[in-house]
Amino acid sequence: MARALIEKRTDWTGIGFAAVLTIVIIFPLLVVGTWAFTNVWRYPSVIPQEFGLKFWQQTLARADVWSSITTSLSLSVTVTLLSCVICLPAAYAFARMEFPARNLLFFSFLAGHAFPKFGLLVAIAGIFLQLNLIATFWGVVLIQLVGTLLFMIWIPVAAFQSVDRRMEEAARDVGAKPFRVFWSITLPQAGPTIAAAVLLSFVGTFYETEGAWLIGAPQIRTLPVLMISFINNQPVIQYGAVLSVILWVPSFAALLFARRIISSGSFARGFGG
Amino acid sequence: MTALPANDIVGTKSSRRPTGLLLVAAPVLLVCWLIIWPIISAIIRTVWLPDTAGERRFSLETYQFFFSDQYSINNLMVTLWTTAVTALILLLICLPIALYLRFATNRIAAYVQGLAIFPMFVPSIILSYAFIRVLGPNGTVDLLLNAVHLPHIRSPYLTPWGPVLGLVWDNIPLTVLILLSGLGNVSNQSIEAARDVGAGRIAVLWHIILPRISNSLLVAVSFTVLGIFSAFTLPYVLGPAAPEMMGPFMQRTFRDLNDPTTAITQAVIAFGFCIVFGLFYVYSVAKNRAP
Repeated sequence: MARALIEKRTDWTGIGFAAVLTIVIIFPLLVVGTWAFTNVWRYPSVIPQEFGLKFWQQTLARADVWSSITTSLSLSVTVTLLSCVICLPAAYAFARMEFPARNLLFFSFLAGHAFPKFGLLVAIAGIFLQLNLIATFWGVVLIQLVGTLLFMIWIPVAAFQSVDRRMEEAARDVGAKPFRVFWSITLPQAGPTIAAAVLLSFVGTFYETEGAWLIGAPQIRTLPVLMISFINNQPVIQYGAVLSVILWVPSFAALLFARRIISSGSFARGFGG
Repeated sequence: MTALPANDIVGTKSSRRPTGLLLVAAPVLLVCWLIIWPIISAIIRTVWLPDTAGERRFSLETYQFFFSDQYSINNLMVTLWTTAVTALILLLICLPIALYLRFATNRIAAYVQGLAIFPMFVPSIILSYAFIRVLGPNGTVDLLLNAVHLPHIRSPYLTPWGPVLGLVWDNIPLTVLILLSGLGNVSNQSIEAARDVGAGRIAVLWHIILPRISNSLLVAVSFTVLGIFSAFTLPYVLGPAAPEMMGPFMQRTFRDLNDPTTAITQAVIAFGFCIVFGLFYVYSVAKNRAP
């Protein structure tokens, strides 16, 4: 704690935190990883009797796994594309244009965050029931699309605002058309942050479980929903472990590319910190 | 639905740039249709019930049923208990981590920060699975205890402690980040000044640090409360079948019992318990962000 500010000795506090967090956070995931590459692991052996890829072949031969992967990917791609189409122009407008009720509309995207999300989903499901959107692909798309709005507007707005306006004006002074300015000056500067927002919304949609379960079940079965049924009803432990490893891939991509944004202070401030 | 006067404004003098409104219309309409309208409609539907003749009249009977039904009350209680216990454990774990990260600058601190943020990149469904493999019956902890000839643990799996542990794990990253962001407002000078006049570590924490991060603490608590009231996956997979938390309870009422009105009543009750936290949370987020 504050001691570290003054003393320059061995950082026992840090070593303690590092050790405890490693056990609590990394160890359970290593156990799952081990199970995924285990052919035989019978109680009470501390390490598996036989390692191997047998269950990868069996898991990947299952039709329900492939149909879930297809469903999850097509849902995530559809939602992310739709979200880009409706949110990015809106973000540009919020960042650069003056129009009536701009602040009110900008903060209206927070409305959903004042309520517990699952209650909101139940309320939406009540409306979808009357519209026959329950257990349909587009019902799940709509519910997941709403979940991406805040991210896909607020992060790109910040990106557009951080673009150096003087460079845009300079380009315009030498005769560049508005679209050319946007393409050559604005987009390259705002691009990386917007790409991170798009990636986060893809990953967030991929793992969205509650809406898919409440609105989509039983016809629309995404990978996380399949995982729930594996946990509840599947006696072969390795199927769940292999699926967990497959399921983690998009998160790993997010970890590689979006970590810098999440570690930055502005991200925490976005959550009210 | 009042937020959308786009058509009225196009072509009138009061608007300088109607294009802006057109560009933001689609997402704003979506928010009105799928967030604001469902909330209003949920309240209307649950207090304006059809009677036997099919005519709608004002009635609070679904709410009276909820608060007179022992099973519903037990579910609400276990949700409130989980919320309180999880929020408390989270603060007890995350405040020391955040304090440590605020004042340490070495490589161990970078590692600790990386670990604290890591659960954000683990979907809660994988976490549930890992939890069962490690702490469930014949899980890894049992294996290790058995290897050193110790008795099995009483597994938290399928008890109210299952969701608590899962939710704590899941919420560590944002809690640490929110607290760390708040600790950024505490200047080194103020702490040094307090130490110069002889304040001990506890006194510095109590009189200098905590008052300055009280807002961040409240934000972290509000975020946790909102998250736990709406938690579904972790309580559904890790928690007991009865009493169940509000998330699985609502889902079961809606889908398995096929009783949307009762499920929506439960949702409105959850809104009611969270509204103070929700409004405070949204206010804090909005305060930090100007368009």
